[in-house]
This record gives sequence, structure tokens and C-alpha cells, in this order.
Amino acid sequence: MSLADAELNEVPHLEHPPQDALALETRGLDFYYGKTQALHGVDLGIARGKITALIGPSGCGKSTLLRAMNRIYELYPNQRAEGEILLDGEDILSGQVNAADLRARVGMVFQKPTPFPMSIYDNVAFGVRLHGSTSKAELDAIVERSLRRAALWDEVEHKLGSSGLGLSGGQQQRLCVARGIAVEPEILLLDEPASALDPVSTAKLEDTLLQLKKDFTIVIVTHNLQQAARIADYTGFMFMGKLIEFAPTASIFSTPRLVRTRNYVTGRFG
Amino acid sequence: MATRADSAVTRPAARWDEYLFRAACFSAATLLMAALAGVVVSLAIGGWPAFKAFGWRFFITAEWNPVTDLYGAAGPIVGTLVTGFLALAMALPLALGVAIFLTEFCPRRLAQPIAVAVELLAGIPSIVYGMWGLFVFAPWFAAHVQAPLAVHLTEGSWAARFFGGVPNGANIFTASVILAVMILPYMAAVFRELFLSVPAQVREAAFGLGSTSFEAVSKVIVPYVRRGVVGVVMLGLGRALGETMAVTFIIGNAHGLPHSLFDAGSTIASTIANEFTEATGELHTASLIALGLVLFIITFAVLAIARVLLASERH
Amino acid sequence: MSARSARRRITNAVFVGATALATFVALAALLLILWSLVSKGAGGLSGTIFTQDQPAPGSPGGLRNAIVGSLIMCGLGMAIALVVGILAGTWLSEYGGQSRYARAVRFLNDVLLSAPSILIGLFVYELMVAPFHGFSAYAGAVALAFLATPVVVRTTEDILTLQPGALREAGMALGASRAKVIRTIIWRGARAGIVTGGLLAFARISGETAPLLFTSLGNQYLNLDLSQPMAALPTTIFQFALSAFDDWRQLAWTGALLIAAAVLIINIVGRLLAREVSHK
Repeated sequence: MSLADAELNEVPHLEHPPQDALALETRGLDFYYGKTQALHGVDLGIARGKITALIGPSGCGKSTLLRAMNRIYELYPNQRAEGEILLDGEDILSGQVNAADLRARVGMVFQKPTPFPMSIYDNVAFGVRLHGSTSKAELDAIVERSLRRAALWDEVEHKLGSSGLGLSGGQQQRLCVARGIAVEPEILLLDEPASALDPVSTAKLEDTLLQLKKDFTIVIVTHNLQQAARIADYTGFMFMGKLIEFAPTASIFSTPRLVRTRNYVTGRFG
Repeated sequence: MATRADSAVTRPAARWDEYLFRAACFSAATLLMAALAGVVVSLAIGGWPAFKAFGWRFFITAEWNPVTDLYGAAGPIVGTLVTGFLALAMALPLALGVAIFLTEFCPRRLAQPIAVAVELLAGIPSIVYGMWGLFVFAPWFAAHVQAPLAVHLTEGSWAARFFGGVPNGANIFTASVILAVMILPYMAAVFRELFLSVPAQVREAAFGLGSTSFEAVSKVIVPYVRRGVVGVVMLGLGRALGETMAVTFIIGNAHGLPHSLFDAGSTIASTIANEFTEATGELHTASLIALGLVLFIITFAVLAIARVLLASERH
Repeated sequence: MSARSARRRITNAVFVGATALATFVALAALLLILWSLVSKGAGGLSGTIFTQDQPAPGSPGGLRNAIVGSLIMCGLGMAIALVVGILAGTWLSEYGGQSRYARAVRFLNDVLLSAPSILIGLFVYELMVAPFHGFSAYAGAVALAFLATPVVVRTTEDILTLQPGALREAGMALGASRAKVIRTIIWRGARAGIVTGGLLAFARISGETAPLLFTSLGNQYLNLDLSQPMAALPTTIFQFALSAFDDWRQLAWTGALLIAAAVLIINIVGRLLAREVSHK
């Protein structure tokens, strides 16, 4: 049996956190772009209050998996997910959960910074205003706390009224984080949030995320292996639409069980 | 049409908001369709008495007489087509020349301001062109072309058949010139955009093979966007055929078929503009609206062809 | 140098010369028109143009009634066109996509965009003037709205399509409905572009004559009652230019200069605004 065959026949190695520690869980998740299947029976457990990283070569389905968790894919008519995604035990794909409520509980930060064309203050307040009426004083407090937690407050304290588009790339991305956490989601999804940032901004963002895991469950998709190693508690390795290895980050990087994972984390492909 | 994105919202207020907003947008889009349908239907209904009274002879009789209540559309139809195509024949080479010069040969510092000027001129209201034709061009044409020519024309010669007419400058030919001047900046501006859309690699490849500018333009660049070129020609023609004010001032407004290029005539648009508010009889009004329907069909066909060609040009 | 190469070079030189000549002829013709407009129109410019109504032949007067009428009808027409046009353009960009219905709307909008304006006049006559037995400023404004709407639809759709999809996703990811995202984020980002489109549409309708001939008709007095016939600059120019009176013709030239200048200025402002946006 050749090495390639051995790899193909490898059984996924999944060391999930204990069931009662899970904030979100996918069971047998399939995903389709039209007729193309992009995810094949993914079983994944996301631990509460931890950072979970998803890594893998481009096109492996890691972003697709992330985008299923807040059903943002529903914007596009030919995309669909099958299987179960349990959020606190409730299946969000069942049709019983409405997307607006879901997205208030599962926030998302995108690859490129996406500040809205409005003031910094209004950017952060946007989601809060959507999900209920809040007094001006409460809103002020929420905006300040969110910006502080995103480590942006000191830089924008005196220009809350100016446009969010005027910030630097790294500041814009932290603004998007502040906007995402202002609605107090349980889970924060980040899709390659540092790929458009310089190293200094990236380091600041990573610091911010490490602070945030006290209050939020974080899932981050990244192609930067060092980043995953630096900040993640758990890491999942995806390949061709399947989750093939999942374990505490230290063991994924030091003692990967599967040949493919080892090749990837040691830089032999991908 | 409920998609899953609609079910995204449970809060009743937000769901209503989404539904109403979407319905408002959809209604507005549908209103556009209804407007166009309304144009066709109202012209068809309004023109019906004329079609009923004259049948297909409406299209081939040149007699247009409010006194005897007999109306035939041949004169304005011929006038519309002749002025439209004549204007196109004059404007096309100039517009192509301008666009090619600006995209290929003109120094960039000069090309940009000229291009902006051309685009701005394309926005000048047509009534300005009409007035210029009436007060400046027509008298000049009468004095410096028609009057000297009249001396040399012998009655009944072939030349008289083309160039005979009352030397007052208000005729089919001068109307065509004004139309040509009017559509020229528009066509030049759209041609320029079209040529600018040719990818740099195509242009470089042509020159890389040692082509002269002429060869690159005539064998590569223009052929590369040839369907678009035809599309622009059609758009220019559509404008010329449907134009009212630039023509009404200067065509002379004579009923019936014109006898020569330098004879007064009429177009569909000029006939409607001149007579509609003064039309007394029901049949007169109906005949004018029927003329409108004919104009709509002609321009719709031309524009449809233009759009199809231009759409297929977007590689 | 071979004869063939010499011939190619000569052909090329002739060609370049011909295109330069074409440009020269075209610019000369257009400048000639502008020069006539300025030299004949500027003489009649004075304060009374804006403060007095149109005169009887032989008496002094201005174009106030026509200018006011144009502003009212263009303003009302634009208001209608902006509401309908922005909503329809939004539908095409955000909801319609490439569906069959959306493509049909897009095509018919293009047809409407370049349909002869006099036919719009006839249509609105049949729609509003004939049934209610009277020419009115309302009818004139509706006719102008039909001409402006396709321009607004076109630019709105183009600008909205340029807004990044990531912005839409980011809005929805916070739990906003699609409608909310469009109104609070997408429209805001596209504001300058939509304003430019509106200005271009305004420039277009402010010079239109043909659609007003059978709708608002014209009025020799200052009229602010929208249910009555109302003067407009282009229709007054048309009437005066074809008259036999020198002072009326002078007013026509002055009016034409005013319109052309207004249209040029609106277009230039629109362009500057568009440039401002594209530089961001």
C-alpha cells in the first residue's frame, strides 16, 4: 500500500471537548453550493469560553463551515446546509430558529474590514439599535465598553462622531470586532480576520481576542498556522470538505495523528 | 416569492418592514414596465380610428389634408427615415474620427479636456440646436449654397431632382445637418468609451506585431468591438429618428412626399409637435397618434437591436 | 525603405490626419453653436429676465413665468423620478438579480431611456390631459418624471451593484433584515453616486420641450396653480423663436442661453461629485 492510499484510508481523529463544555456543535453537517457538495458530514464541537481555530488548505471548506454557523449563507439562494447545528442544544437548521435572533447570538467578523459608511459610534451602535430600544445613556455605555474590550477606545475616544471609513485597516477590523460584541453574542466567528492586516495590527487583534475569550466563545478561520498556535485552545484541521483531525492545539501541532495533518502543519503542502 | 432570507426575521415589525420595503421596490420596477406598456397601449388605442378609417393605405398615401380629413403617413415616414439616415451618414465618420483621435493619437493632456467637452456638449438641449439651425445655419445655407445653385439648375434635370427647392434653407438636407451635429457629440462620447474598453493587451499585441496606428485601429481595435460599434450607430440613429425640436425648427414643415433633398418636408415627430394641439377633428388627432405609434415601432426596433448588440459586447 | 513600407506610412499619416481633421471639424461646429448662443443670447441678459413675466410683442418683459414654471415642473418631476427610480433601481440590484423578470425590466428601462420624448408627451396627454379635459402642470411634471426615472434607475442600479457584498453580509451578520441593511448601509454608501445620477437626470429634463407641448402647454402669465397650464422655459423659447417679432426672438435666444448654461453647470457639478466619489 502506497503512502497516498494510506492517507486516503486514514480515519478522522477527533478529540472533542466534553459534551457539557460545548457551546455549539455540528452533527453530520453537509453543505452545498448548488449541486457541488462543499462539506461532508462534519462533526465539530466548539468549547465554551475557548478559542477554536479551523485550519486547512484553501478550498477545504473551513470558511464554509464558519458561514454555516450563523446561516449567513442564506443570502445566496443556491446555497444550503443539511444536518444539525446545535446551539445550546437547539438545532438552528431546523427552521424553528430565526436568523436575526441567531445572528444576535452568533456574531461574525469578516476577512476584510467592513466598517459601515457611518460614524464610529453608529457603527458600534448599529446592532444594539436593531435588537431593541435602548436609552441614549445605556447606548453610550455599551459603545464605550465594546470599544474598550476591542482595545480601540483609547484611539477613537475623541472622534466617535467621525466616519469609520477614516480609520486604519487594523483599527477598522477592531471596530468590526467592537460592533460584533456590542450585541453581547455568545459566540464570535472570525473569518481570516487578520489576512488584510500588517503584523503590528495582527498582534493587537490577537491580544484583543485573547482578552475576549473571558466573555465569549470564539471560532476563528485562519490560514496562518502560527496564529492558530499562538491563540487557539483547540484546532481543527479540514481537508476537502471534511474535518479530519480535531484536538487541543498543542497536540495538533506537536503530535498530529494523521499523515495529512502532519504534512500540513510542518509546511509540506497547502 | 418567499425565500429563506425572508423568514430570517421573526420580530413582526421587522418582518413587515422587510415585506413592505421589498414590495415597494418591486412595485416601482413594475411601474416602469407598466409605463412602457402604457405608452404602447395608449398610442394603439388613440391611433385606432385612423387605422380603421384608412387601413394599410395609411402607411403608403402621401396625402395629408385636414380640410378633406384625409391622412396618409407616407410623407412623415419617408421624411423621418431620410433625415435620420442622412444625419447618421454625416455624423458617423466624424464621430468615429473624433473617438479614434482622442483614444489613439491625441496627447493625453489635450484628450481629457476635449473628451469632457464633447460629453458636456452631448447634454446641450436639442432646442438649442434647432434655434441655431433656424437662425444661423438656414440663412447661411440659403445664401451661400442654394441661391448660387439655383442659377445653374435647369428645370427637370437630374440635379434639380436632388437639389431643387425654395432657397430658404428650411429643408430635408439642412434638417439632417442639424440632426447630425446634434448626435455627433453623443456618438463620439459613446464610441470613445467603447474604444477605451478594449483591453491594453489587445492594443499592445497589435502594435507588437509592427502594425502602424492605422492598421492597429482598423484591423484590431475597431473589429474587436465591432458589435458595439454597430450598437452605437443604432443608438445614434434612434436619437435622430425620434428627435423633435432640432428638426421642427428647420425642416420646413410641408406635408406630402418631399420632391428633393433641398425641399421642405416633415418628420413624424415634427408633424406631431406642430399639429397636435391644433388638431380639430377626431380623425386628425387619431392620425397624429397613429403616427406616434409608427415612430415608436421604428425606434423600438432600432433601440432593441442596439441594446442586444451592446450587451453582447460586454465580454 | 521598401515601397510597401512607404505606402503603409503614408496611409497611416493620412489616417491620423483625417481623424484629427474630424475632431477639428466637430469641435468647430459645436463651438460655433455655443458662440452663436452666447453672442445672441447675452445681449438680452438683465435683471428683468428674472423679475418680469413674458411681454406682449413690442413691450419690455422677461421670462419669470417660464423660469418659475420650469423649476416647479422639473422639481416635481424629479421628486417622482427619485422615489420611483431609486426603489426600482434598488429592486434590480438587490432583489431582482438575473431573474427573467429583472432582465425584462432592465431592457424596458433601456428602451424608455432612449424612447422619443415626444411619445412620452403623447402618452401623458392620453393618460392625464384627455381624461380630465385640461392641460396642467401636473401632466407636465409627470411627463418629465417619465423621462428622468430611467436615468435614475440606471445609475442607482449601477452604483448599488458596486457596493461590496461584504457590507451586506456584515449587516446581516448583526441580525439586520435585508431591507434594513439596504436602507441604512447600502444607500448611505451609494449616496453621492445616486445624487450624481439625479443631477444628470435633472439636466436632461430641464431642457426637454417636446413632452411639455401637449401636457403643460404653456401660460403667458405667472401661474402657481399646478392644475392649470404652466409655462416652461423650453416651450416659451419654442413659441418665441418661431414668432415674427424681433424682441420675442431675442428673449428666445436669452432663454436658450439660460437653459444651456444651467444644463452645463448641473452636468459639471454632477461630474465633479462623481470624481470626488471615485477618488475615495
